[in-house]
Amino acid sequence: MTQNRRRTGTALIAIGAAGILALTGCTPSETGSDTTTLTVWHYYNTDGQVEALEKLADSFTAEHPDVTVQYEYVPVDQFTTKAVTAAGSETGPDVLVFGASGTYPLAEAGAIEPMDDWWGGYADKDQFPEGVMQRIDGELYGVQGYVNLLGLWYNQDMLDEIGGEVPTTIAELEAVMQKAADAGHQGITLTGKPGLESQWQGFPWFTSHGFSYGDPQAAPMAGTYTMLQDWVGKGYLSREASTWDQTVPFQQFAAGASAFAVNGNWQIGAAKEAAFGYGVAPLPITSDGGVLLGGEVQNVGAFSKNKELAQEFLESTFFSVDGQLTLLDYFGSIPARADAASDSKIGDDPILSVFVDIVQKQGRPSPSPEVPSKNVNEVEGLVGDFWSKAVAGDGTPAQLADDLMAQLVPLLKG
Amino acid sequence: MSSTSAGPSRPSNTRLSSPGLVGPGRAAARRGSALRGDNRLALALPAAAILVALAFWPLLQLGSMSVHEVTAATLNSDWLFVGLDNYAALLASPDFPRAVVNTLVFVVIVTVIGMAGGFAVAVAVSSPTRGASYLLGMMVFVWALPPVVNGSIWKFLLGDRGLLNEVLRALGGSPAGVGFLYDPQLALWSVALVNAWAVIPFNALIFRASLLAVDSEVLEAAEMDGAGPWRRIRHVLIPHARPTATVLAILTVVYAFRSFDFIYVMTSGGPGTASTTLPYLAYVEAFLRLDYGGGAATALIALAVVIVLALFYARDVRRSEEA
Amino acid sequence: MSAATTTRAPARRRRREPVAFGIRLVLWVIYGLPLLWIVLTSLKSQSEVLTSQASLFFTPTLEAYLEAFADPALGTSLRQSIVISAGTTLLCLALATPAAYALARVRSRIVVISLALLVILQMIPQTANLIPLFWLLSKWGLLNTNPGLILADAVLFLPWAILLLRPFFGAIPISIEEASRIDGAGTLRAFFGVALPLARNGVLTVTAIIFLVSWGEFLYGITFMLTPSNYPMSALIAVQAGAYGIDWPAMMAFAVISAIPVFLVYIASYRLLRTGLTMGAVK
Repeated sequence: MTQNRRRTGTALIAIGAAGILALTGCTPSETGSDTTTLTVWHYYNTDGQVEALEKLADSFTAEHPDVTVQYEYVPVDQFTTKAVTAAGSETGPDVLVFGASGTYPLAEAGAIEPMDDWWGGYADKDQFPEGVMQRIDGELYGVQGYVNLLGLWYNQDMLDEIGGEVPTTIAELEAVMQKAADAGHQGITLTGKPGLESQWQGFPWFTSHGFSYGDPQAAPMAGTYTMLQDWVGKGYLSREASTWDQTVPFQQFAAGASAFAVNGNWQIGAAKEAAFGYGVAPLPITSDGGVLLGGEVQNVGAFSKNKELAQEFLESTFFSVDGQLTLLDYFGSIPARADAASDSKIGDDPILSVFVDIVQKQGRPSPSPEVPSKNVNEVEGLVGDFWSKAVAGDGTPAQLADDLMAQLVPLLKG
Repeated sequence: MSSTSAGPSRPSNTRLSSPGLVGPGRAAARRGSALRGDNRLALALPAAAILVALAFWPLLQLGSMSVHEVTAATLNSDWLFVGLDNYAALLASPDFPRAVVNTLVFVVIVTVIGMAGGFAVAVAVSSPTRGASYLLGMMVFVWALPPVVNGSIWKFLLGDRGLLNEVLRALGGSPAGVGFLYDPQLALWSVALVNAWAVIPFNALIFRASLLAVDSEVLEAAEMDGAGPWRRIRHVLIPHARPTATVLAILTVVYAFRSFDFIYVMTSGGPGTASTTLPYLAYVEAFLRLDYGGGAATALIALAVVIVLALFYARDVRRSEEA
Repeated sequence: MSAATTTRAPARRRRREPVAFGIRLVLWVIYGLPLLWIVLTSLKSQSEVLTSQASLFFTPTLEAYLEAFADPALGTSLRQSIVISAGTTLLCLALATPAAYALARVRSRIVVISLALLVILQMIPQTANLIPLFWLLSKWGLLNTNPGLILADAVLFLPWAILLLRPFFGAIPISIEEASRIDGAGTLRAFFGVALPLARNGVLTVTAIIFLVSWGEFLYGITFMLTPSNYPMSALIAVQAGAYGIDWPAMMAFAVISAIPVFLVYIASYRLLRTGLTMGAVK
C-alpha cells in the first residue's frame, strides 16, 4: 500500500513538474511579427510620469500605426549597469532615457553613440541651449528634452501667520525660519540621504558659500556644513532629513509642516494637494551660487535595430514642442526648447514662470564641467555622502570638510 | 538529577535526537564506504555542475574584476590589470575601518539575538495550544514577506513621527524624538535589530522542530526529579538543540552577513556611512559609483573575513564524523 | 514543583510559566503590529501616510487596492511569480535532494571541502553576481525568459537548500539502508526507494521554504527580466519605490495582494512546517 501511494505521489509530482516546466517555456512577452517594436528604457515611476509616457507613445503611434512603443522600467540604481552589461552582450534598447551622470559610462561602454550627425541635420536644433547638451570630449552623446531644477517653495499662509517675507538672502531665510520655529513649525525641509541626490541638493548652497569644483577648498564647505548644523541645532531643519530622498521633504511641506522646502519643479502636481497658499522663489543664494539643471537625457541605443525610427521617435516626442509641453503638463518639467519654454502656458503660470526665471538666472549645466567625466559618479556620490553626514551631525564642519577634500581633490584632478 | 544532565536520550539504534552533523558515522558505513562513497557522490553531480557554471564562474569573474580597473565605462573594453590596487585603495579608504566594525557588529547582533531569540521563542511556543500555533504562524508569515516590505514598514514605525517615537513622547521622552534611523550611533543597531527580528521566526521554527523531538519522557522524568523549568531548559533542551544550533548559527551568520535589503531600504547605509557594512559598501561601489573592480575587491575582502567560519563548520563536521 | 506533578500531562501544560506567557505577549505585539501597519498603510491615501504615521485613526480608502486591481501588470506578474517560484522550487529541490543525500552519507574529504565551499558560495552578496550572470544568461539567450530566471534563482538557493536538507538525510538510520542493500538495491534505489521517502517530511518542508523565499526574491527578477510584463510580483512591489518617489499605499497594497498566495501555500504546508521539521521521524 505504501508502495502504491508512493508511486502515485511520485507520478503526481512528475506530472506537476512537467506541467510547470512546460509553462516556464511560455514567457509572456512575445511580439507580433508585423509590427515594429521600439523599446525605451527609463526609470520614471510616478503615475504622472507614466501617463506622460503613454501620451507621448500614443501621439507617435498615431503617425506610425505599424509601430508599438514598449516602455521598459529599469530601477535607477540598476540602469547604467544594465545598459552597460547589455552593451557588452551587444544588445540594448532602441531609446535610452538616462540620468546625466550616466552619460560618460554609457558612452564609453558603447551603449550609446555620438549623435552629432543626426543632430546636425535636425531642423530644430537651434532651439536647444548649449546647457542641455551632454558632450564628452566635444562629441554629443545626448540631449535633455527638459530640465528639472530646484527652487524655494514657501508656505504663503504660514509666512503671513508668522509675519515673514519671502527671503532673498540666506540671512533673511534664517530670520524667517526662526520665526517659524518660534511658532512651533519646521523652518525648512530638504534632502539629506547619502548619495547623488544630496549632491544635487547641496550644490546651490556650497557654491553660494564659494566652493567650486574647479578650485576645491575646504573652507567654503566647512561654512556650508556650519550653516546646516546651525539649522539643525536651532530646530529649523530636522536631523531626520539625513535619511530623506526628495519625496518625503516635499510631502511634509505639502502637509503644512514647514515654512520652506528646497525642492523641484516636478512637485507641481504634488503641490496641488496642499491645503494652503504656496509659491516658489529662487533659492536665496549669492551670485556665486548656481542651481544644477537636472533631468534626464535622451539618445538612441547603439544596438538598436531601428535607429532611424528611434530618432524619429525622439524628435517627435522628447524633442518636439508638443512633447515637451506634454511632459510639462504631466510632470512639471521645464522644456529645454526656447520656443516651448516661452509658451504662454508657462508664462501665465505663477510657479512655472519662476522656474524658467531660475533657469535663466541661476542655471548651471549638470554634471559640472569641471569634474572629470570618468569620476562624475564618484564625485557626486562622495559629496552627497558628506552632505548627509553634515546634516546628521556625524562630525564637526571643519573635520568633515577636511575629510571630504582629502578624498575629493584627487578625484577632481582626474 | 543525573538523568537530566545526561543529555538527550540515545537509544542505540534510532537517530531520533541527533540530527544534522552527527550523522551515522558508524563503522558499518565505513566498511562499505570506499565503494559506495564514490557511487553515491555521483548523485551530487548535477548540483555540482550547475553550481560550477552559475555560482563558481561568477566568483572567478569577481576575482578577476577585483584585480583589474573595471568601471561601467571600461566594462566592455580591455580591462587594465592593476594587481592589488583596488584592495589597497579599499584598505586605505577612511570608510573601511568603520565598515568592518559595522559588519562585525551587525553580524554579531543578528546572530546572537536571532539565535537566542529563536530558541526562546521555540521554548515559549512549544505548547500545542491554538494560540501558540497562531502566534508561530503569524511570525513565520511575517518572515516570508519580502524584506522591502518589512524594511519599509519599520522605517515608518521608527521615524520621527512614527509609532515608537509617539509612544516614547507619550511616556515623557524628548519632543524631538529618537533618531533610530538617523542618529549615527543608533542607525546600525536599529537596522540590525530589525534584521534579527526578521530572522527569529525561521530560527524558532527550526529549533521548535528539534525540541519537539525531545523525548517527553525525559522531560517528565526531569520534572519528577524536581527540576524547575530553567533547569529543564538548561540541562535537557539546550544540549538537545546543540547540533541544530550549529547549523542554524552558520546559516544565520551567512544571512546576516549578506544582508543588504534592510540597510538599503531603511538607511541607505547612512547617515553618511554610519550604517554601511562591507557587503553594502560593495554594492555602493559597484552600482552607485560604478566602480566594479572596487566593488569586487570589497566583496572578496568581506568574504575573506568570514571564510574562517566556513573552516570551523567544516572542521566541526569532520570532528563529528570521527565521533 | 514535584508536588504539583501528580496530575496528568494536559493540566500540567496549562499551568504555563509567566515568563513564557510574557514572551508570547511581546511577540504578538512586535510581529502583529508591523503586519497591522502594512494593512493600514495600504488603506491610506498617499498624503495621509505621512501625516498619520503613528495613528490608527484615518479615513480608510480602498484607492490603492482599486488601482492595483485595475493595473494589468497585477495579473501578469502574479502568473509570473507562480511560474517562477514553482519552477525554481522544483529545479532547486531536484538538484539539492540527491546532493544533500550524497553529502550526508559519504565520508570523504571531498564532502568536507564541498560543505565549506557551499557556505562560502552563500556569502557572496547577491549583487556581486548580477553582472557575470547577466552576461552569461545573455550569451545563452536566456535573458528576459522564465527558464533563465528560474535557473538563476535555483542556483541562488541551491547551497542553502543543500545545507538545510543534509541533516534530514543524516538522521535516517544507516541500518535501514543497509537492510535494503542486502536486498540487492543499488544506490539509486537506496536513494529513491528508501532515503527519500523517509526524509519526505524534511524535503517537503524545505520545498515550502524555498517556494516562500523565491516568491520574495526580486533583485534577479528585476535585473534579468527586461520587459515589465515579465516581472514577478516581488519586482512589482519594489518598483513602487523609484527615483521620483515612493508610492506607499500602492506598495503596501501590492505587498498584501502578493502575500495572499504566500499565505495559501503557507497554510497548506503549515502542518508540515510545524511538525515535519522533526528530523528523523522514523518511528
